[in-house]
Amino acid sequence: MNKVKIKRSILAHLIPGFTSLTKKGPSGWMVILGLVIVLALVVMTAIGPWIAPHDPVWYMSPKIRAPPSPEFPMGTNHLGQDMLSRILVGGSIMLQVAALSVLVCFLIGVPLGLFSSYVGGLFDSTLSLVIDAVYAFPGLVIAIAIAAMLGSGVINMALSISVVYIPSYFRIVRSQVLSIKELTYVEAAKATGAKWHTVLSRYIFPNVIPSIVVVATINFADAILTAAGLTFIGLGVTYDIPDWGWDLKNGWSYLASRAWWIITFPGLMIILLALGFTLIGEGLSELQNPKLQR
Amino acid sequence: MGLRSYIVTRILLTIPTLLLLLSMVFLVMRVLPGDPVALHFEKKAEPWQLENMRRKLGLDKPLWAQYADYIFGLIDINYVLAYGYPNLGKSMQTYEEVGGQIFSAFPATLELAIYSMIIASVMGILLGVVASKSYNSILDHLIRGFGTVTYAVPIFFLGIIFQLVFGVFLRWLPTGGRISSSVEPPTGLTIILSMPSGGFIYNFLLSSIAGLAISAICIALLKVKRVKFRFKGFAISLAVFIIAWVVYAYVSWYFVLKGTLQIATGLYTIDSLLEANPVKFVESVKALLLPSLTLGIILSGIFVRLTRTNMLETLRLDFVTAAKARGLKESTVTYGYALRNAFLPILTMLGLQFAMLLSGAILTETTFSWPGLGRYIYQRISFRDYTAIQGAVVMFGLFVTLVSLVVDILYAYFDPRIRL
Amino acid sequence: MEKIELSIAVLVLIGIIVSSSTMYYTATVISNVSTVSSDVSKLAEAVANLTLTIGNFSTVSLEAIANLQAKLAAMEAALAKMTLAKKTLVVGTTDSVELTLDPAQAYDYFGWCILQQIAGTLISVKPGSATGTDFVPELAVSWNVSEDLTLWDFNLRQGVTFWDGTEFNATHVQYSFDRAIALITKIPEGAPAGLGYGDIINRTEVLSKYKVRFHLNFPFSPFKGILACRASAIVEPTYAPIAQVNYTSGDPRASTPVAFVGPYFLSEWKRIAGRDIEIKLDKNPFYWNVTSQYPKTEHIIFRFYSDALTLRLAVEAGDVDMAFRHITPTDVLDLEDNPNFKVWWGTGAFIQYLDFQEKRAPFNDTRVRVAIAAALNRSSVCQTVFLGLASPLYSIIPPGMLGHTEAFKKLGDANYTLTRSLLKQAGYNNSTKKLKFDLWYESSGHYPMSAEQALLYKGAIEAASGGIIEITLKSADWASYKLNRDNEIMDAAIYGWYPDYLDPDDYAFLYWATWLHLNYNNATQLALYDEARATTNLTRRTELYAQIDNIAVEQCSVVPLYVSGAWAVTTPNVDGIYLDITQDMRYWLIYLK
Repeated sequence: MNKVKIKRSILAHLIPGFTSLTKKGPSGWMVILGLVIVLALVVMTAIGPWIAPHDPVWYMSPKIRAPPSPEFPMGTNHLGQDMLSRILVGGSIMLQVAALSVLVCFLIGVPLGLFSSYVGGLFDSTLSLVIDAVYAFPGLVIAIAIAAMLGSGVINMALSISVVYIPSYFRIVRSQVLSIKELTYVEAAKATGAKWHTVLSRYIFPNVIPSIVVVATINFADAILTAAGLTFIGLGVTYDIPDWGWDLKNGWSYLASRAWWIITFPGLMIILLALGFTLIGEGLSELQNPKLQR
Repeated sequence: MGLRSYIVTRILLTIPTLLLLLSMVFLVMRVLPGDPVALHFEKKAEPWQLENMRRKLGLDKPLWAQYADYIFGLIDINYVLAYGYPNLGKSMQTYEEVGGQIFSAFPATLELAIYSMIIASVMGILLGVVASKSYNSILDHLIRGFGTVTYAVPIFFLGIIFQLVFGVFLRWLPTGGRISSSVEPPTGLTIILSMPSGGFIYNFLLSSIAGLAISAICIALLKVKRVKFRFKGFAISLAVFIIAWVVYAYVSWYFVLKGTLQIATGLYTIDSLLEANPVKFVESVKALLLPSLTLGIILSGIFVRLTRTNMLETLRLDFVTAAKARGLKESTVTYGYALRNAFLPILTMLGLQFAMLLSGAILTETTFSWPGLGRYIYQRISFRDYTAIQGAVVMFGLFVTLVSLVVDILYAYFDPRIRL
Repeated sequence: MEKIELSIAVLVLIGIIVSSSTMYYTATVISNVSTVSSDVSKLAEAVANLTLTIGNFSTVSLEAIANLQAKLAAMEAALAKMTLAKKTLVVGTTDSVELTLDPAQAYDYFGWCILQQIAGTLISVKPGSATGTDFVPELAVSWNVSEDLTLWDFNLRQGVTFWDGTEFNATHVQYSFDRAIALITKIPEGAPAGLGYGDIINRTEVLSKYKVRFHLNFPFSPFKGILACRASAIVEPTYAPIAQVNYTSGDPRASTPVAFVGPYFLSEWKRIAGRDIEIKLDKNPFYWNVTSQYPKTEHIIFRFYSDALTLRLAVEAGDVDMAFRHITPTDVLDLEDNPNFKVWWGTGAFIQYLDFQEKRAPFNDTRVRVAIAAALNRSSVCQTVFLGLASPLYSIIPPGMLGHTEAFKKLGDANYTLTRSLLKQAGYNNSTKKLKFDLWYESSGHYPMSAEQALLYKGAIEAASGGIIEITLKSADWASYKLNRDNEIMDAAIYGWYPDYLDPDDYAFLYWATWLHLNYNNATQLALYDEARATTNLTRRTELYAQIDNIAVEQCSVVPLYVSGAWAVTTPNVDGIYLDITQDMRYWLIYLK
């Protein structure tokens, strides 16, 4: 089949696919709501630097820890930085880290899962055992250990988070492939002499995509929360980059002085962002679940 | 395959998994950058000091020697008998036995885990059932919303909000620690045993009661199993009686010799009840409330959604309609019939969530300064304390494996299809 | 909703309301009752202990026994009359003893703090000392130093007893120091190793029963400072085997070898998993200075809090009479506004500095280093980040100490003109050759407010350079930070230091310290330093340290940033707190009004 034809068919599915979502009931609305939230936050973060009233890092008002007021609608933090500006700009690191880690997980976990379950046998059993052992690792511990040892920075954070999630991709893909490869049309493809990489890429992989997408969105949400957690512990990016995680960390330190605004607004934004992705993932998984079709 | 062989296979599989986990932690620790030796020297460190320290921590030996030492230490039975826990090495930071440190930190996490799981499952299941009963109504959407949102909330954020509201603004509950600093930690039940006047013989004779009790239980069990009592049953119960008598006599004599019998679970709530000290109980519950609520609410989300989905499926099945048609009460149908059948996946999820618990526990424990295993691991990472991290991760891996083993066995017990 | 769910929900709600209100009311009532009763029982126990101790003596004379019995009677009479509240001081802290209370090992602040209350050294620093070098007699009453500063003789105080009745004499001093030096190979991370006891002291000689002589390997005028620090605490051989003494659960006496020759007795010490749960100090009836009314408070109870937030809330709730270390600047300023609390301010000794890696560009060029040093805006940082509770530092030796100067003021504060001209000289400009380097800071909280400091310094330096400089901020947690330092990969890093003994000798060497791995050597400074430690002439020493500072300003290998303040928060009825440059809290001087 032509590569051009594949691209056209994907596009041909996307647009009517989107409108068909609205007809699929509450699950469809969940997906749409999630997409809207995510898109809104991404746009806000992208145009943030232009619409922010003050420089989120270098503008330091002498009114430190000022409560929300007309001048500073979300208050200021302990250095006098404007919280509203920091909110508008602060999501970018989290989005970058999450996107990067999803990409890495996808590029490593999916081929591994496909290949391993297709080949089967001893290779598959040993690899599964190893992956299970990694899965038994408490995820955050790995992330913290790697982040602590590699140091600050977007790439290091993304790496430490991806190591935690690769097993999930592997397992989902593997269990899907195990059931798919027994299907008759796959057998037929093999019987007609298709090579293993053709079978994998054209017959098996497209069937696995729906579940991968669900895992990826949940992974995105988790990555955002883990990135926030890492910055909270001090293992995130340096302070000259505005990040919601930094505000959470600072907010905790100033809790006793009743400065609730430093932590509440960034926290709500993180919840909103993670919620967006979770809604997409949950909606998609519900849509795929035949048992719920009434 | 029968239930027995399934259990045996599963148990045997855990050993290589744990070994693999251990080896991976060992390698990862030593390969990645960071040096526990240098961390002992806050200020200057001359080369000879670093050398000495390296030797003191056993890090001058080649890698395979360290690994061998560690593995052989783990299976050292004498150590287990002497200390009561396996030889996990000595902490590179404090030189204390890692096993001891983990065993004192573990009950804190266990207490947090138990109460959070109770809150999560009870709240989650109830809300899920309510949502499934009123499908597509506003209540359903609200509960679904709650279930989804809790998944998106960062644990430490919820914890901090609770600290802010209940600890700082309202001052009702403490913001950290397991128990208020003004109260000593509970020590559990302490019984001071006195020597019986007739010595060991007297103790031995008294133990016959225990032997009789245990053999009575044995006879009852045999009757249940419908074993023919004439010879086989009698022989078994006699043997049980004698063994129980002797064992009980020696064990109780051992405890009498020790002088005091200390029953402490390490869970402050239970220990304070054992100690019959209401102040300590109240203080420990106050300190436990916020962290377990935080963790519980976050975990409940997934139970809400899972219960709702499963109940929705089950409620559409024929036997539910039949039960309703027979005129059974709504609550009996929901809880006695539908929930029971939908329960198995929830049980699996319970097991899985226990595993996720440590990741959540690390952040909760750091926020609330809860001295449990999560905070222990986190502190040890900053100290690059290899042995402690290895020990803690293996301990936790063991815990997770055990829990998933129990869940799998229960699952296999309830669902015969799995054993195949 | 079905009836059953409704009823469960209502029951749970009622249960929560009932239990929380019961908890609230009963807890307050019961806790008050139980604290009082437990205090009474603890005092009765202490009295019983004393009686037991007296009974155990076998070699003490009748007179001594009569004395002790009189003391005991007086104590019991006082006990009967006393109001509990005034005799107990509850102190809240976030510190914890790191490992042991053995002077041959302990090297942490809190371990030294407890050792100071329970042990004795030959000399100590006068409370409230302005320079940290006013030494007063403690277990030694007078001393002579030889001309060449290598022989130090001490006349010891007579009539001092350890808790088991042994009389203190010169053999104990010799044993303590010999033991400390012998243990250096086994405890390389301990204080004697870190302070260099093995290098400094050749041997300790007993001249007579109450006279001891130290033979030093080289002339060392700061030796008195070494003798006053807690690694020089005197131990009693019976309790100090030639191996380290570790924490023993349930037995405070066996957990330390110092045999309580200080103002307090360690009556309880509980630890779980490496953190202290409880430390209680009771008045030591055998303290040699007990006739001068010391200790002023009979019981000290330490309460340990896990973080600064919990500590502040405890202070506000009135759970503690005093809180010392660590209350954040924001919290202490808030508490100062609160009339229910009193804040004590003192001199700090903790400093932070900026250092440069000189083995490669750009910091192998002195002009670049000086340019950066001139651009620093110390006062602004101290005001914004530390709310004015830290002071800008212009010499590596902090104010209040001999040898302090304002040398770095020569470069100015945020001196843009100097920075730009130096950069131009070094060949950097805005268009073709920008100066780019990494500024590192520690991210796990080992130093206070590191991230904020780094941010402000970055802003200041970049602004001062007019865009020529581009700084990349980098951070690492403490373990990796140290590793990076040893591997010499950090271009510029912010570091900190607090002293072990109070002498400029323990600060000045930071300019060229080899363990900072800065690849900086200066023979002149080293020579001046060695000369300064070989003389006791204070004027001469001041001159020498001033010269060292002047060279430091020209070289800028290490640039001092700030010195922190010190503070403690108490209830208004607490008095007797001295926050001098030693950073020691002498609990025996504190009393409740």
